Amino acid sequence: MQDIQEIKNEIAQDRRAFIKKVMGGAVAGSLLMVIPATATEIAEQIPGMRAEKTVFTKKRFAFIVDVTRCIGCGSCCVADRNEYDVPDGVYRTWVERYIIDDQDNVFVDSPNGGTDGYTEPRTDIPNPVRDTFFVPKLCNMCEKPSCVQVCPVGATYKTEDGFVLIDPKRCVGCGYCVQACPYSVRYFNKNHTADKCTWCYHRVRQGMLPACVNVCPVQARKFGDILDKSSEVYKILHEPHVISVLKPGMGNKPSLHYVGLRREVV
Amino acid sequence: MEKEDYKSNYNTHVIRLVVILVVVGVGGYFAKAAFTPDTMGQYGHYRGSNVEEQKGREMRNMTNDSCFQCHKYIRRIHKNGVHKDVSCEVCHGAYADHVKDGKYIGKLPVKRGAEIKALCLRCHNKVIQARPRDSIKVVALPQHLEEKKVRTDHICDQCHMVHDPLLWVKQAREMMGMKEEK
Amino acid sequence: MISVMSAVAVHGESLAQATNFIFPNDLHVHWSLMIVLYPYITGIVAGAFIVSSLYHVFHVEDLKPIARFSLLFALAFLICATWPLLNHLGHPERAMSMMLTPNPTSAMAGFGYIYSAYMVVLVMEILFIYRPTMVALKEQSSGLVKTLYGLLTFGSDNVSKKAMTLDHKIISFLAAIGIPMACVLHGYVGFIFGGVKANPLWATPLMPLIFLLSACVSGIAGIILAYVMIKKFTGKKIDVACVRTCIKFLWGFFILDFVFEMLEVFTHFYMSTHHWHTLEALLWGPLATSYWFMQVKIFSVIPFFILMFLSLVKVRDKVLLFFAPIVSFMILCQVLLMRWNVVIGGQLMSKSERGATTFHPQWFEKEGILASIIIMVAPVVILWIFGKLLPFWNDEKQTS
Repeated sequence: MQDIQEIKNEIAQDRRAFIKKVMGGAVAGSLLMVIPATATEIAEQIPGMRAEKTVFTKKRFAFIVDVTRCIGCGSCCVADRNEYDVPDGVYRTWVERYIIDDQDNVFVDSPNGGTDGYTEPRTDIPNPVRDTFFVPKLCNMCEKPSCVQVCPVGATYKTEDGFVLIDPKRCVGCGYCVQACPYSVRYFNKNHTADKCTWCYHRVRQGMLPACVNVCPVQARKFGDILDKSSEVYKILHEPHVISVLKPGMGNKPSLHYVGLRREVV
Repeated sequence: MEKEDYKSNYNTHVIRLVVILVVVGVGGYFAKAAFTPDTMGQYGHYRGSNVEEQKGREMRNMTNDSCFQCHKYIRRIHKNGVHKDVSCEVCHGAYADHVKDGKYIGKLPVKRGAEIKALCLRCHNKVIQARPRDSIKVVALPQHLEEKKVRTDHICDQCHMVHDPLLWVKQAREMMGMKEEK
Repeated sequence: MISVMSAVAVHGESLAQATNFIFPNDLHVHWSLMIVLYPYITGIVAGAFIVSSLYHVFHVEDLKPIARFSLLFALAFLICATWPLLNHLGHPERAMSMMLTPNPTSAMAGFGYIYSAYMVVLVMEILFIYRPTMVALKEQSSGLVKTLYGLLTFGSDNVSKKAMTLDHKIISFLAAIGIPMACVLHGYVGFIFGGVKANPLWATPLMPLIFLLSACVSGIAGIILAYVMIKKFTGKKIDVACVRTCIKFLWGFFILDFVFEMLEVFTHFYMSTHHWHTLEALLWGPLATSYWFMQVKIFSVIPFFILMFLSLVKVRDKVLLFFAPIVSFMILCQVLLMRWNVVIGGQLMSKSERGATTFHPQWFEKEGILASIIIMVAPVVILWIFGKLLPFWNDEKQTS
């Protein structure tokens, strides 16, 4: 209550000055302040990743996207573009909007991959709408990746802990992997090599969640070790939910699971 | 043609050709060994040292807790408010552009005016189809402003402090003796 | 205003239409003109080699006049085969990685070794076939050219009967193994496409076969065109029986090629499984002109009937020599269109299964029209250089 009283007083004085102080960070201290703790002292988001005795290959990671929660805000796309140097017009992750009318026509769009959120409604829906939802997309981190199969030089590969990565020093830029991916998650970056979402491998190995998972305000993206029975992903995958993957007929066996996905999603 | 004296044997050219092919083949074999990266094949058909390179990549975003290490005042407001799940870095930019090795290296942008409105509407815009039925509160503009009987050129943060949008609203209600709106 | 796809459009591609949805990363066509040209060039190489082998291995005597020329023709194109690929790669300086660390599960990784091995076989066959000619030419020349002939004959001047018998055995062997190697050289390209399950236009077991048959077709057509044109421009006599036989083989291979191409589409249409609607939208949409109108109607059906006429009816020499280059040129266009429709057409469909993107080649971009023209003209220039060193035709400068 003490804090609230202080704030009330501040408001009473001068709201604009108050805002300025908060925004300017002056309340927090000098601009030249050195933070007391280094980055690694932020608590682990994935338990056990930083321990000396952890064998990282004994973890089995799953990424779950809950379509029933996504609000299409695009925070995930913003965080992803902040984390990596993604060229304009290509995407490591994106969000699609689905609108299904009562004649089973499906209208899909993804303006700028959803990076700016969705600012306009669709006005070209002729019939009443039956269902609407947002679908975030990212690398499916397949167990049998077709991209790894076709890479002529072994530049893209699957690690021992199940992540599909791209070696930027060996990639020759042939584009075969881009053609082979059934989910269109690959693109060419500024260095003329192939690139894609890596489930933030560098963050995960240091015990942090992928950037997009970390920023989702409604917990539509979840990440964790399914061998850890206390993890949320374990619980979800062991409870009766409607869980599916994209394009199961391709045979790639994605590790990206969707909760609440509809059949119209490709 | 009558048999003549030739400088070479009948099979000299074949022998020389075979020698050239063998030399090229052996040379190629050694070149392959020399130019193939050392850690190739360490774990599989890829350069094993790349795994460590990828692990060592600089993290650019951190978490809200990283920001709160310094910004304690905002932490008090943010952590107790309805925006506790909203990331600082989505609005303000990546941590790595602000702090490096524990030292301040650059200013992160503070959003103003129409930029704030655009950010709010990313999540709270009622007219966008496709949101889940039961989710966060959404409003339509300018109806929301008309309902609240304020001028329709208001920006969101004139009533809703961005770090906890219901803070002033709740306090205002308390001051006015109003009940909590559902 | 609704902008369904507001991704930044680079290279001038247009935004998708209102009910057209393509995945954000599917806007750009990654395999463009260079990848259309590569199978076209290796196809011509394989086809030209088959012509030569029809004489050297299967003893089709009518083809003797062009047996040597076909090999030089094949080599001129083979030399240029890597150029479109190197131009396309994001890092051509790393191209040797395909030889250093080829991934055994990747069809494309076969390129380095298959190409090198085939180059060795083709060059060796040419050197052996032309050896007596070069030994004779060496005596008549001087300076740098003389040294060149010396190197190409491995410094040997022996053209005795024993040497020629040995040479003949080697030539037959090379011509024989050259056939399966030519099939692999172009067949693996077909598998590069045929093995991509993510693309409904490409993923079919028939793809290597279709590629190989159209390769044979393009090679034979190229030889006919080159033979007739070069003889006409140099004012020499054309062996009409040779052209007639070539036309018959061309028709035969083309029947097979066309049948398989149509069978592929027809089977998909008949079965009408899940991916048919995407293919249908492509073939009757963005590809309607280049596929049905141009590749099939103009450049397949019409040449089919011309070839049938020229093969079954013993027409006068003048008529044959008039139509042969024309129909060969049309067939060469058909094969180029087929490569275009497969490579570009396949990428127009988005993997969203709900839309298609567009592709407009530019004149002056890295993989653009001008670069393509240069790469297609280069083999002709190289062939001309060969012509300065070695005689094309068997009926000139007989040496044995």
